[in-house]
Amino acid sequence: MTLTSNSQSNDDQETILHRVLWGEKQLLVSEHEPLLPQLERAGVFVEYQCREGYCSSCSLKLIRGHVIYPTEPLAWVQSGYLLACCAIVKSDIEIAFFNN
Amino acid sequence: MSYSTFNRKRFDSMKEPMFFGENVNVARYDQQKHPIFEKLIEKQLSFFWRPEEVDLSSDRKDFQRLEEHEQHIFLSNLKYQTLLDSVQGRSPNVALLPIVSLPELETWIETWAFSETIHSRSYTHIIRNIVNDPTVVFDDITVNEEITRRADSVSKYYDRLIEMVNLYNTLGVGTHTISGRGDIVISMKELKKALYLTIASVNVLEAIRFYVSFACSFAFAERTLMEGNAKIIKLIARDEALHLTGTQHMLNIMANGRDDPEMAIIANECKDDVIHIFKEAAEQEKDWSRYLFKDGSMIGLNAQILSQYVDYITNMRMQAIGLEPCFETKSNPIPWINSWLVSDNVQVAPQEAEISSYLVGQINNDLGESDFDDFDL
Repeated sequence: MTLTSNSQSNDDQETILHRVLWGEKQLLVSEHEPLLPQLERAGVFVEYQCREGYCSSCSLKLIRGHVIYPTEPLAWVQSGYLLACCAIVKSDIEIAFFNN
Repeated sequence: MSYSTFNRKRFDSMKEPMFFGENVNVARYDQQKHPIFEKLIEKQLSFFWRPEEVDLSSDRKDFQRLEEHEQHIFLSNLKYQTLLDSVQGRSPNVALLPIVSLPELETWIETWAFSETIHSRSYTHIIRNIVNDPTVVFDDITVNEEITRRADSVSKYYDRLIEMVNLYNTLGVGTHTISGRGDIVISMKELKKALYLTIASVNVLEAIRFYVSFACSFAFAERTLMEGNAKIIKLIARDEALHLTGTQHMLNIMANGRDDPEMAIIANECKDDVIHIFKEAAEQEKDWSRYLFKDGSMIGLNAQILSQYVDYITNMRMQAIGLEPCFETKSNPIPWINSWLVSDNVQVAPQEAEISSYLVGQINNDLGESDFDDFDL
């Protein structure tokens, strides 16, 4: 289920929200910024280093769903994984962290 | 087939494999078989820095005030990093340039090795600033057993590849009788295998071996000690993360077989060897942590925490090249290290880190005995 809402009254643009699932937990994220800062704001610890797509520290398992990269990251992204620091979530997704 | 610095043959370099094809002739980048290496070059060039930009005058005072066992931790790490970058400043060039076949990869190797020479120069800059006689520090690197044991592990794969490529370039494939060495078999498959293991070993060097030292440098800086050093280490860590991506790309390109089908077979056959290289390096780094803390630990770090961190990053790096993690530790025992490793805020201006009044939310570490007089438990 992908939700749309008018987040701010002074903003004509609709905010598209997608659900990120991991284990028993979930979070709604927007397409305005990459996944990593949104997870962090929700208090989820994600491993990171460069935060610009070349070190692959923030690599997470992408079990299902679709993400895009506005610019192709320099790091090698294994198939079935995503780079949280630069991936824009484009559908509801299910992810798994390294520690589970 | 001997190496030529300007191969006169006419061939389509877009059809060459990364290694062991034709020697590169024209250094052209208008067309690229693997454009990632050109992108890595551009990124590395954008990172350019010089050690002299970082002021180390307060590090000298800090160093003199460190406890003796803390000075041991600090200097030992510098010695070990000096060893690692001495190897990395020359070996990619010596080992890989004679066998590389793509211009963009050739230039990436040169750019990569060059940035390692900046790291070496920065260790001299640090050592010269904190001790009166740098010779004492540098001379110990070749005699200190804890360090030389690691030197053997980091250089043996390079040395073997270099020896085999030398024989291949002078005598070609076949069984060669070398005086004092007996018969040495040189086949293309064995050469490629030696190459694959060398890249894997370099990957491990840059992925794991540096990080124990990085953690210690940042642990000092968390106590606002040796902050100039930490700034330099931050810049080095940023470069190393990029180099690591470079070797991960090489390994993954080899393993998927699209570049050279035989390489995919070799990558598969070498899987256990690569796992062994990872495990051996992790164990050596844990031994190194124990050596560092043999006379006492420092605030926030001890041999046990560092060993858990080694397990943790080893797992992460193995996963990055498609291997199963081999250690139990599943969470980062020192998550604070990430805010030091992050590269988007590399700053060298003194007011950013050293002057506490410049910072918001800074905790003052200048406490005296009397500050706790009215403190009851």
